[in-house]
Amino acid sequence: MDDLIKLVRTYRVTAALAERLRLADAICRLIAPELGGFIFSTLKPHAAQEVLQDILISISDSLRKFEGRSNGEFGAWCKTIARRRVCDHLRKKASDRLQPMPHEEILDLVDASEQAEPMTAADRHDLEYALKLLDGSKPECRDYLWNHYVIGFDYGEIAEERNLNYDNVRMKIGRCLEEAKSLVA
Amino acid sequence: MPNKNTDAEAALQKLGHRLRLGWAKTHPVSDKSLESVKNTVREQWEQEQTVKRTSKPAPSPKKNRQPKPPEPEK
Repeated sequence: MDDLIKLVRTYRVTAALAERLRLADAICRLIAPELGGFIFSTLKPHAAQEVLQDILISISDSLRKFEGRSNGEFGAWCKTIARRRVCDHLRKKASDRLQPMPHEEILDLVDASEQAEPMTAADRHDLEYALKLLDGSKPECRDYLWNHYVIGFDYGEIAEERNLNYDNVRMKIGRCLEEAKSLVA
Repeated sequence: MPNKNTDAEAALQKLGHRLRLGWAKTHPVSDKSLESVKNTVREQWEQEQTVKRTSKPAPSPKKNRQPKPPEPEK
């Protein structure tokens, strides 16, 4: 991910078509897993593939307009596009919503992650704890904890999506976390 | 992001990290998606070329101005 913003900034100033195609390909390969987390946990698989493609097209179409300077800014910009596309899709086809992600699927993905990065005993312990926190939460709280900590949406993004104010979301997430911790302890 | 990185927050964030790694392995971005992205980039590039061609300044009329031939004497 470290090179991502360099690729984006190079893309913005590149005039040659062949180079732009190479850069767009590299950027999409780096950003897709980041966005996949959100998309594949929100939509059913058949819809998720289709929406991910729409999102990558939207991002590539607007790449030259992006003016940020850090990976964080670019990631947030991409996530905003992804969130809007997913909302658009769900407005048209609400039945494609997948929430919460099935427990078995979470475990399958965790197992698959070991191919990329081996897990220590401490990692396993932490992941079991995280799953207990989610499983013990009420549906609304699970949703907040999932979106904020697991998917990585910040308070402002969640507030915008739910039409709430920033502090309200921050406090709700804090309360949900405390409640989950007390239930697991 | 949270201000105080408690164990619970760190564990949930670690789960997010693991899921992203797992997603990258199990749902690699498809060739079809990448091809659609390339088509978009190509179309945008072609539009830019068209704009560049059409926005090139027209040759200045002054440069082509030739001295008028003398009026035939009546």
